[in-house]
Amino acid sequence: MGEVIVITSGKGGVGKTTTTANIGTALAMMGKRTLLIDTDIGLRNLDVVMGLENRIVYHLVDVTEGRCRPRQAMIKDKKLERLSLIPAAQTRDKTAVSESRMKELTDELKEDFDYVLIDCPAGIEQGFKNAVAGADRALVVTTPEISAVRDADRVIGLLEAAGLPAPEVIVNRVRFDMVRKGDMMTIEDILDILAVELIGIVADDEDIVISTNRGEPIVKNQLSTAGRSFRDIAARITGEDIPFVQSGGRNFWRRFKAVFAR
Amino acid sequence: MTADVWDKEGALTKDTLLIEGPLRGGHKVDYDGNVVVMGDVNAGAEIRASGHIIIFGALRGMVHGGKDGNSGAKILALSLFPTQLRIADHITCPPEGYTAPRERGPEIASIRGNKVIIETLAM
Repeated sequence: MGEVIVITSGKGGVGKTTTTANIGTALAMMGKRTLLIDTDIGLRNLDVVMGLENRIVYHLVDVTEGRCRPRQAMIKDKKLERLSLIPAAQTRDKTAVSESRMKELTDELKEDFDYVLIDCPAGIEQGFKNAVAGADRALVVTTPEISAVRDADRVIGLLEAAGLPAPEVIVNRVRFDMVRKGDMMTIEDILDILAVELIGIVADDEDIVISTNRGEPIVKNQLSTAGRSFRDIAARITGEDIPFVQSGGRNFWRRFKAVFAR
Repeated sequence: MTADVWDKEGALTKDTLLIEGPLRGGHKVDYDGNVVVMGDVNAGAEIRASGHIIIFGALRGMVHGGKDGNSGAKILALSLFPTQLRIADHITCPPEGYTAPRERGPEIASIRGNKVIIETLAM
């Protein structure tokens, strides 16, 4: 029996969808049977980030309203045999799905998968409630900005109230050069406020924009530091103990160059 | 129920509500008596109490001690950095450019001479 993991944040634009796509891809690369579900009904994106937009036949609302079986709505990844996606509906809204229906569905689906990752919409209304309904575990994505941390704090409170007592946090888009200059919140500052466990630190990386636009998750790129961070998160999800690296991007190259400048 | 007892400065010391923190954004506590929190009170959280408020953690949210007009109410926190702090009918907030008081240690807020005064807690 698998685990249902919701990826949420409260605030929009902090990288929930990118995180879902990358962690899901990384889990599948590790050989785990992985299903992604986009619950952002009306504003679907996960299919685009996965590069599967043109293969959609049925969507989540077709499943919950009984127009098709879950299997029929699952789109297989282009390369990874063990990765599938159930896309969101684009023409409906969040009220098209109920919490009880969502829980029934995820309970059924986790029988057949090792991991079911749920991409949660921004906000704390019905869409959030649907996404959280069947989850066994929650990952909260934030960025080192005070507004994102505030929303993460609020969402952690709501997750605790919903019976998910130990959400784990991913700090996304960290710019270590700015952190060093004191211009950006540190990981410690964020954890000090949120008082939850850390599960990942992802550096701000231009390559993510490129890979997202191409529909090719960055974890497939073995050279990218952000890709590595997402692979580390996936490994931690499976229970591996991987140390946290607080550097990346430019810093790495600066150090690399510094070695040769000597 | 215990009888209401008033201390020499007039603060109401009746029932006390003990909360295990942290109190996160969106959490609200409204209590007729004193409130003690074990843990942080984050920005976006609110505590209103008719008596004192004691926070064994960092205060980052909004607190209102002596909400029914009792100006003898005090607010104590291990790190006092509220969004807004109210005692009775006084409303204050940290001055512009005031940063998180990591190194300052426990502080206590009270009304003296019709002003909210913040003092380091002598330990």
